[in-house]
Amino acid sequence: MINKIKKFLGVDVQMEKFALVDDSTFGKVAKEKAPTKWVRSTCGYCGVGCGLYIGVKNNKAVYTKGDPAHPVNMGTLCPKGLSEHEIIDSSNRYDGPMIKKDGKLVDVSWDEAFKKTSDSFKNIQKKYGNQALACISTGQLLSEEFYTLGKFMQMGLKTTNYDGNTTLCMASAVMGYKQTFGSDGPPGAYEDFSYADVIMLIGANIADNHPILKLHIQKNEQITGKKPTIIVIDPRYSKTASMADIFVPLNPRADLALMNTLAYIIIENNWINEEFISKKTSNYENFKSHILNNYSPEQTSEIIGIKKEDLYELAKTYSSAKAAMSAWTMGVNHSSIGTDTVSAICNLALITGNLGRKGATALSITGQCNAMGTREVGFTSSIPGYRNFASKKDREEYAKIANVPYCDVPTKRGYSYPQIIDAINAGEIKALYIVATNPLVSFPDQIKLREAFDKLELLVVQDAFKSETTQVADIVFAAATWGEKEGTYTNSERRCNYAQKALAPRANTKSDFHIVLEFSKYFEGVNERLFPSWSEPLDAFNEWKKISEGRLCDYTGMSYSLIANLGGIQWPCNKEFPQGKARLYDDKIDFPTSDKKAKLLELDWLPFQDKLSTEFPLILNTGRTVEQWHTRTKTKEISILNDLCPEAWIEINPYDAKKLKVKSGERLSISSLRGTVKDIIVKESQTIKSGHIFIPFHYSKQLINAVTIAEFDPKSFEPNYKQCAVQLHSKNVPTGIKYNKKELSLELLNTVKQNQYTKKEYT
Amino acid sequence: MSNNFTTPLDSFINYKTNTHNQCGNYSIDIKKPKEDEQYRFHFDATACIGCHCCEVACNEQNNNDAAIKWRRVGETQSGSFPAISSHFNSMSCNHCIDPECLKGCPTNSYIKFDNGIVFHDDESCIGCQYCTWNCPYEVPVFDESRGIVTKCHMCHEKLDIGQTPACVQACPSGAIQIELVNTKEWLEKDMYTQGIAPHLCDVDITKPTTRYTLNEDLNKSIQTPADDHILKANHAEWPLVFMTVLTQMSLGAFSILFLLETLNYFSFITVNITTLMYILAFLPAALGLPLSALHLGRPILALTAMKNIKTSWLSREALALGLFTGALSASIVLSYLQSPYLLINNILVLALGIYGIYAQSMIYRIKARPSWNKKETTYNFFNVGYIGSLLIALSLLINEVYFLSSLVFSFSLILSIYQQLLFKKKETFYKNLEEENKNFYQLNKTKKLYEGMFKKHSQIRALTLNISITFTLIVLILLVNEYYLIAGIIAAISTVSAFVSEIIERSLFYKTAVAHGLAGHFFAGNQR
Repeated sequence: MINKIKKFLGVDVQMEKFALVDDSTFGKVAKEKAPTKWVRSTCGYCGVGCGLYIGVKNNKAVYTKGDPAHPVNMGTLCPKGLSEHEIIDSSNRYDGPMIKKDGKLVDVSWDEAFKKTSDSFKNIQKKYGNQALACISTGQLLSEEFYTLGKFMQMGLKTTNYDGNTTLCMASAVMGYKQTFGSDGPPGAYEDFSYADVIMLIGANIADNHPILKLHIQKNEQITGKKPTIIVIDPRYSKTASMADIFVPLNPRADLALMNTLAYIIIENNWINEEFISKKTSNYENFKSHILNNYSPEQTSEIIGIKKEDLYELAKTYSSAKAAMSAWTMGVNHSSIGTDTVSAICNLALITGNLGRKGATALSITGQCNAMGTREVGFTSSIPGYRNFASKKDREEYAKIANVPYCDVPTKRGYSYPQIIDAINAGEIKALYIVATNPLVSFPDQIKLREAFDKLELLVVQDAFKSETTQVADIVFAAATWGEKEGTYTNSERRCNYAQKALAPRANTKSDFHIVLEFSKYFEGVNERLFPSWSEPLDAFNEWKKISEGRLCDYTGMSYSLIANLGGIQWPCNKEFPQGKARLYDDKIDFPTSDKKAKLLELDWLPFQDKLSTEFPLILNTGRTVEQWHTRTKTKEISILNDLCPEAWIEINPYDAKKLKVKSGERLSISSLRGTVKDIIVKESQTIKSGHIFIPFHYSKQLINAVTIAEFDPKSFEPNYKQCAVQLHSKNVPTGIKYNKKELSLELLNTVKQNQYTKKEYT
Repeated sequence: MSNNFTTPLDSFINYKTNTHNQCGNYSIDIKKPKEDEQYRFHFDATACIGCHCCEVACNEQNNNDAAIKWRRVGETQSGSFPAISSHFNSMSCNHCIDPECLKGCPTNSYIKFDNGIVFHDDESCIGCQYCTWNCPYEVPVFDESRGIVTKCHMCHEKLDIGQTPACVQACPSGAIQIELVNTKEWLEKDMYTQGIAPHLCDVDITKPTTRYTLNEDLNKSIQTPADDHILKANHAEWPLVFMTVLTQMSLGAFSILFLLETLNYFSFITVNITTLMYILAFLPAALGLPLSALHLGRPILALTAMKNIKTSWLSREALALGLFTGALSASIVLSYLQSPYLLINNILVLALGIYGIYAQSMIYRIKARPSWNKKETTYNFFNVGYIGSLLIALSLLINEVYFLSSLVFSFSLILSIYQQLLFKKKETFYKNLEEENKNFYQLNKTKKLYEGMFKKHSQIRALTLNISITFTLIVLILLVNEYYLIAGIIAAISTVSAFVSEIIERSLFYKTAVAHGLAGHFFAGNQR
């Protein structure tokens, strides 16, 4: 009351609230939220893996500050990281487990939730077989949690129908690396950005998705003495394109054709690295003839959409670099030819000898904080430690180290994520256990997905946040989130980071590790068999370390304290490399193939399934924005982020907007053969070519995955999110865009050389 | 917790990380400014990737709510696909050498430190928000929860002890840095080449110190701001709408009284100027002035607005109009007493009134808001006095001084027709607005507001003014024909209609103001 009067009289301007106070660790901080302790941890958003400190005051997280001693981010954090402490206290979280009763989720005890779930699982598995239960997990958990969950699903509940949302993001990189190098595992390091002469970003919008990587590019000039040449390959002029020296506005999905054509030019001009090819690769002659027969610029330039002379220059720029680095993300992976595109990028690195040296690599940048961890330990597409389900030796090895019956180790991979959805629709799978992912926003072809959900007998969702998916769940396992649990995350450069617990789990929530551990006790003998006397994540970590021994992803030299003290460790970390190793496949590490050579693969470009027609003449590209995380469960309540991007937008060339008689700020609907989304705000922009549109996928209100196509990469099962045929509808032009013949004729573009000015430098 | 690792170092304040830049580090290596030197920002637009880290870091450091942004990132683009260029500008305060915020502040709440930082003293601020109008970069921001304006101070408390400002520390591209600048050299030449960036106003207005590194072509091409489509009406500022119109009416009414009183004195005419007429002239100002305090964030401190007579037109207005109203009340007493000092006092009142309204108009003659910055603003402010003139004419009519009443009505008519001309002139100006106008972007948005969102209001403005003019004309005819009662009624309608018309016009004056500033963001606009 007194404060209200004070405010009315204007005598109090809350000087106290806005005062600063000295903090001995980080310098001046806001007095009102001055932490009483700082807890070292790792960011839980993306795959960059930044080291940070969580500031804690009165049992609340009040600050996140970049760790200056951490080699990844050197004291900086992206806007999501800087505000990450806000997610913990979000009103968008659950306080404890819930069960749907009379159509409404109500609070229950953990015992009731576990009991009911385990009873249902048992009944369903008894009635329909073990495989009637499936689990879709995530890239968001800690490695210890992934290992525990994977082991529990595969050998406790004995279903191989276990996959993660990583199939929606990194699966193509995994499969591409496997088929080329013999194993998953990104061979490079972030510091390569600082050493490369040429940096080729392919379908990677790091400015929006991995801003901290810019730090490493920014360092390049001081380290190498000159600015690196940055090539950005993207059908859209993304924020990242604005840092390009050469912007390559290729046709959507033409990357594989482009890589093969660059290989053609490089081989044709003998710009290859013969020594590297003969020492380190196999299948060169077949590869060469495949490329020379099929990928001449004459044959491909229309597919790529780039003029021939530019392709030559691009090939020359890449191959003449002392150290060339290629890096990619979802523009490559989100494609039904994603796996082969990854390999095509690797081919180019191999024939020019750009691998295993400082600045010379082919690096897949991961999306989620621990997509890498689940690839290593998760038990989805392989047995932990990059072991092969099909290999008897691998199975035996695993069974022995993990001390589980050999016969319990699956002999083949179960259904992948999209196959699980299909199997639900086909009536094979009756119960679904979802962990920390939100398919009701993120999965393509929502109509099919929703049909599948309707057919389920039981849907259990384990999540820290309320999501569209938890809201339709029969049972919710309320999880603790980042900052409330401990374990390790592995980032895109194979760096295993330690995340410390800053706070106790909120209310009646439990860490994902403890949920699985305790849930397993409801299945007779499972806990004792799989998790004998386990109580903390460290128990899982120690078992995993043993499992990883001798593997490419060797963790045996790691301990939580060593990881923390070094600011993360890049595996392999063992006796030979006690502090880890920046790069794979140099003189010290061979390719894990039978002949110890990387295989140059003969790969083919294919057009996308959805045909452009007069009815659907536009190509839809989907992606992200820096302010939001995935389906916004974490970010929508953080107003400093959400206010900047509160809804989805349609990025459209003004030429097309004119055809639809709309302007920026007005509204459009979008439709495809699959569905329609109404009322999306128009953003006229020259960042996108006429005939293409871009819409971010984060939003459930503008559910763009109701429009995208359920087309999957046959090798990785990754969806083709990046291209599908759509139409736009405005109030004035409800039938949408019609192009005449002239507009439809393929017009080749030049690459755009930018920054060809002398940068003004004064002191 | 099974493991509890503490910081490997007790403190990161002096830890140097390997970014080869000021970014990432919590301490900064920079000398104290010597004479003729000051701190400034360097912004490298060729490095910025538009990630908004700086914005979030700023709010985290300064404990501001999401709605209060001291640092903002603006976006523009030019060219057409694929040959396009996009440009980000992260801007907080430019710590100008000639800061308009400081000059206009009526309470002397702005201090230019010796190190060049333009500092805002929160405690003395009364929340008049005049600085938010004056700054051509829209830097100061009104925090409603505190009732005051706040702004970037370059984390001066940190900088003083060698700690890195939050935005500089946070930028993963090292695009924001702190430097020293020799202000003399900067003003002489460098400012004109290195201080300019797309979409920003003429550097001569405030002499900003921020140094830009950018693609040289950028300043030559036409840049479209990302918030080009956002058309947001400004605050209506209702207390100010009434305060300005009412004080202007008072001056108008008093001027007529003064004229009649003078003519009386020299015996050109013989008329009894009643005390009631003085009260009539006094009332609008007496009502209006206190009203203006309502627009302040801290109304109780309204009187401190007179502190900065030296450079602030707002202080001058507040003082002059305060004295005007006070002296006018003295005129009421003197008139009642039929004192011989009335005339002398009236001269004082008139001088104060004219200066007061002039000062009032000068508040709006600011470069940051092109739609206000015209001499017509001053003309309009004085000319609104015709309503006061109508009031006096009406009171003369009631007092049955018919001939003089007709004369004053005629005079009012001339003024209102001039007001009509000013209105037409404005309409024509916006109709024919040319792209060559250096304030085209702002004025064109004003035009869109006048002709779009406020088209109806403009029409009502025109209609009510026309009614007033026509009715005054009818009054004159009726007076000639001695229909006094009807004339009185029509005159009253004319006066009310004129008042309504000017209130609408004035509210549109505020609502349609479009400020110079940073290019905005597609959704969030300029965040002001």
